Amino acid sequence: MKFILNLTIREIRSSWRRLLFFFLCIALGVGSVVALRSLIQNLTKAVGTDARALLTADIELSSTNDFSPAEIAKIESVIGNSTIVEARNETITTAMMVRPADPSNESVKFVELKGIEPPFPLVGQFTISGGQPFDFALLRDNGAVIAEILLEDLKVKIGDKIRIGEGEFTIRASFDEEPGGTNGFRLGGRVFIEKKAFDSAGITRNTGRIRRRILFRTSDNPGALVRQLREALKGTTITTASYREQQENMGEQFTRTENYLALTGLLILVLGGVGVWNVARAFVEQKRKTVAVLKCLGAGGTRVISVYLLQILTLGSVGSIFGVGLAQAAMLFVKWRFVDAMPAKMTYGVSLSTGFQGAVLGVLISLLFSALPLLQIRTIKPKLLLRDENNSSMTNLDWTKWIFGIISLAGLLGLAVWQAGSWKVGVFFLAGLAITSVILYSAAAVLTWLLRRVKRFSSFSVTQAINSLYRPGNQTRIILLAVGLGAFVVLAVQSMQANLVREFDFSRNQKLPSLFFVDIQKSQVEELRQLLAERTGEQPEIIPTVRARVAYVNGQPFDYTNREVRQQQGQIGREFAVTYREKLDENESVVSGQWWTASAADVPEVSIEEDMAARLQVTAGDSVTFDISGRKITARVANIRKLDLRNTRTAFIFVFRPGVLEKAPQSFAATVLRHLGATDRQRLQRDTLERFPNIQIFDVADIIATVQRLIANFVLAVSFVGSFVMLSGILILIGSIALTKSQRVYENAILKTLGAKRRVLAAILFVEYGLLGLLAGLIGAGFATALSYAVSRFVMNIKWEFDPVGMLLGIAVTAFLVMAVGVAASFDVLFRKPLGTLRSQ
Amino acid sequence: MIQLNNVTKTVRSGSDDLTILDDVSLSIPDGQFVSITGASGSGKSTLLGLIAGLDEPSSGTIIVDGDEVTAQTDDKLAQIRSEKIGFVFQSFHLIPSLTAYENILIPMEILGLRDARGRATQLLADVDLTNRGHHYPPELSGGEQQRVAIARAFANSPKYLLADEPTGNLDSKNGQHIFELMTELHRQSKVTLILVTHDHAIAARAQRQVILKDGRVISDTLNNEIGDQISG
Ligand SMILES: Nc1ncnc2c1ncn2[C@@H]1O[C@H](COP(=O)(O)OP(=O)(O)O)[C@@H](O)[C@H]1O
Ligand SMILES: [Mg+2]
Repeated sequence: MKFILNLTIREIRSSWRRLLFFFLCIALGVGSVVALRSLIQNLTKAVGTDARALLTADIELSSTNDFSPAEIAKIESVIGNSTIVEARNETITTAMMVRPADPSNESVKFVELKGIEPPFPLVGQFTISGGQPFDFALLRDNGAVIAEILLEDLKVKIGDKIRIGEGEFTIRASFDEEPGGTNGFRLGGRVFIEKKAFDSAGITRNTGRIRRRILFRTSDNPGALVRQLREALKGTTITTASYREQQENMGEQFTRTENYLALTGLLILVLGGVGVWNVARAFVEQKRKTVAVLKCLGAGGTRVISVYLLQILTLGSVGSIFGVGLAQAAMLFVKWRFVDAMPAKMTYGVSLSTGFQGAVLGVLISLLFSALPLLQIRTIKPKLLLRDENNSSMTNLDWTKWIFGIISLAGLLGLAVWQAGSWKVGVFFLAGLAITSVILYSAAAVLTWLLRRVKRFSSFSVTQAINSLYRPGNQTRIILLAVGLGAFVVLAVQSMQANLVREFDFSRNQKLPSLFFVDIQKSQVEELRQLLAERTGEQPEIIPTVRARVAYVNGQPFDYTNREVRQQQGQIGREFAVTYREKLDENESVVSGQWWTASAADVPEVSIEEDMAARLQVTAGDSVTFDISGRKITARVANIRKLDLRNTRTAFIFVFRPGVLEKAPQSFAATVLRHLGATDRQRLQRDTLERFPNIQIFDVADIIATVQRLIANFVLAVSFVGSFVMLSGILILIGSIALTKSQRVYENAILKTLGAKRRVLAAILFVEYGLLGLLAGLIGAGFATALSYAVSRFVMNIKWEFDPVGMLLGIAVTAFLVMAVGVAASFDVLFRKPLGTLRSQ
Repeated sequence: MIQLNNVTKTVRSGSDDLTILDDVSLSIPDGQFVSITGASGSGKSTLLGLIAGLDEPSSGTIIVDGDEVTAQTDDKLAQIRSEKIGFVFQSFHLIPSLTAYENILIPMEILGLRDARGRATQLLADVDLTNRGHHYPPELSGGEQQRVAIARAFANSPKYLLADEPTGNLDSKNGQHIFELMTELHRQSKVTLILVTHDHAIAARAQRQVILKDGRVISDTLNNEIGDQISG
């Protein structure tokens, strides 16, 4: 044992430089796993899985309809029998245009309006800016409490008046954080007013997109109560939610996200493992003589293996601990760079257990990936010292190798399953990784083979550079695999972003309106048409809309006690804006059934959009019953329609045949295509609202800008992870260069002896790594293009365009990066005197 | 003509300065076949390496064919080697990633010779390896590797051929073969041949015999005029 320890220490002392790379591979991998996991853990904590606070209640009943007296009675009967309900309130929300009352202030902003009544909130805290608790008195007599950001957006201050709908409100206070937090996608900042002000300002009268909620606080587990409510409200449009269920859902979601991110980290760690494997392999190869001598002196194979195993363990542990340090540094970087994008309560520490887990993972990966190469030590025979056997390589594959190979694979699978927290995901991860690797590796093999075919170039440097790529023990394909994978991830993300951004690009989608007006009254149509024509120079398109919801499908109500149906409630239970017209729009096509002809119909007919038809499980000929302002209209599904959303001015899910809805209460929508400048757009919105306070305006350009910001943030995050994959690829490259360096030094010494000048040797170096980078870039760009095509076409359903400039740039950058790294890491070779090198061989 | 004037080579080993060559002066006229002998560690390889410009002396000058190799950039040295010098090592030093044929091709490609391929084929035939040209060094025996190395050394038609114990790693039969090959090539091409060897029988067949001891020339004799000291 003493022998093993001593030798280990001596070995580390003599070869730590070479093993430094091993150390870095593990550190980077562990760092990625721990950083990603910590990030999502801390985020979860900051956002709070406290669904009770998010819901601001224990039970929530919600509907886009006014609660009918019959429904209220049902609710009351259940609640009245319950002994656990402590408090109750109601809220009402919608999205609205808000503008300052001061006519000289031209701002206008879309906000999320919420009408509340005391006690508010039922659960949690509400603190206004300045630190005082929220007091309901602030809202009395047309008071408003608004999000701080809106003060800026609207260029107003506390005490100013703002106009909402037909009413005028005084800003009494602002707040930074509202009860329930500000998660999720929102069109605008929050404004609180009194619930009854919704009526006095004409909001409930003029707009249809309103959600009403009744909230309860309970003193005990509300599970049973929720079930009773759901049973009682069966057949109505009311959704019942409880914080417990939401808590579970959210917890599940966060855990899943955490595990997926951890798998991404594991991917980087596995790449680190490949680096380790590489180092271990070359290390054993180089230590053949030492091992032979040790065996010659009487050390047994197991003892020798123990020496190197101990070395790996030491380096693996130190590397892992260093990696945890790296993760902490990464978290601090996130804090420094992204603190604005993070929730206020975000913390930036790595927890002890996560760090420990990461370290264990690092050590296990070190062991798994070095086991096979270390086993080679057993096959080294001391007799090689007697012959000059420098060049022979070890190729024997005996059964122990197979067994250990399988054990390593099983170990890796275990780690993947552990990190993913699921058997299925773990297996898929490993299989996906294996398939990707095999494909990339094959591509690398084909490319290098092709290169070899054209081996005879007229230039000496090029010929020699290509030869160098085939040097015995060359790492060409491994490097291509690792760097190619990095380029692949980064370029795929870039390409998908390019396509997504294009999708939201106005200049390419001429039919996308720039402004969208809704809730226009019949009496206002002509006047608005004139205003818009005057300001935009184009005739707006004006469409009648009727609010309707689906009551029955083929005579049956939705069964919301069924979990699957309940999950779709948001999509099928909501209120729709439907229209009626004679003709199919340009961007529409009928996929089944027939579009109606001019002749009179015997029953009402409706055309349904493809995806909705699938959701409702209807085909042409089925019947759907709509609830339109309390009246039930049953329509026959005449056809199923496909909508080309890329080329759309309006998108109606339900279109009725003319002759049915003309008498129903209706409002109108108008669209403007012309793209006005920001100031003109704002002024037009202002003026429209001055004259027609009931009209709602969607500034599509504004919304798209918000979406694009979201995409950009997402892409930034993924690119960040992608660049880590790239970094591990580069690390593997550096490691491989270090490992084959002695060979390069040797070859350069010979070439110098034969009269090669430094310029020629440098040219070989540049061409060699330039070529390597070029191939890696080609592989990355090729597969990135394929992936972005597949995802765009089959997953996101958006138009895909080949991006030659981006891809060429990607290839060039990869080639340059590899060349720069390769040349930098080998440059000193050019300056060595040959004699010393040759005499030591 | 190769001229060494007071060449000294010292290296640092640990904290001490170790003198490998100590004030060596030699003059070798063109076309001569000189053997250098001496105990292991006497500085033979170092001397040969300095002549080829593979390293630089600590003091003194070396002039090869009118060029002072001690005051040159690495690139100029490489050019001199490329044009004038062939080198054969004890341990062959073939490039392992190239075939025998390609190894022979290299010096001519560096020099930019026209009919490199034809000459490489001819050289392979000269060393009796015509059908082993496509083999990689590890697939060849020691003797075969050394024959490739000799063909490679002759590829640029050098004026000076330096050989450092070319038979040292070979058995006597193969060693004899290599030696015959080199003397034959020397006779045909009128090359200046400096041969470092352990083998006194071989050394005795050279025109001139230089003996090193502890980095100094202790004997320098012409074999047909035994006892005639040229320098000391
Ligand atoms: N770079 C070096 N560093 C240290 N010692 C060296 C170096 N080069 C040569 N020597 C020493 O110089 C002496 C002469 O070496 P060498 O020229 O190879 O001798 P020979 O070829 O005659 O056996 C030896 O003792 C050797 O150890
Ligand atoms: Mg020697």
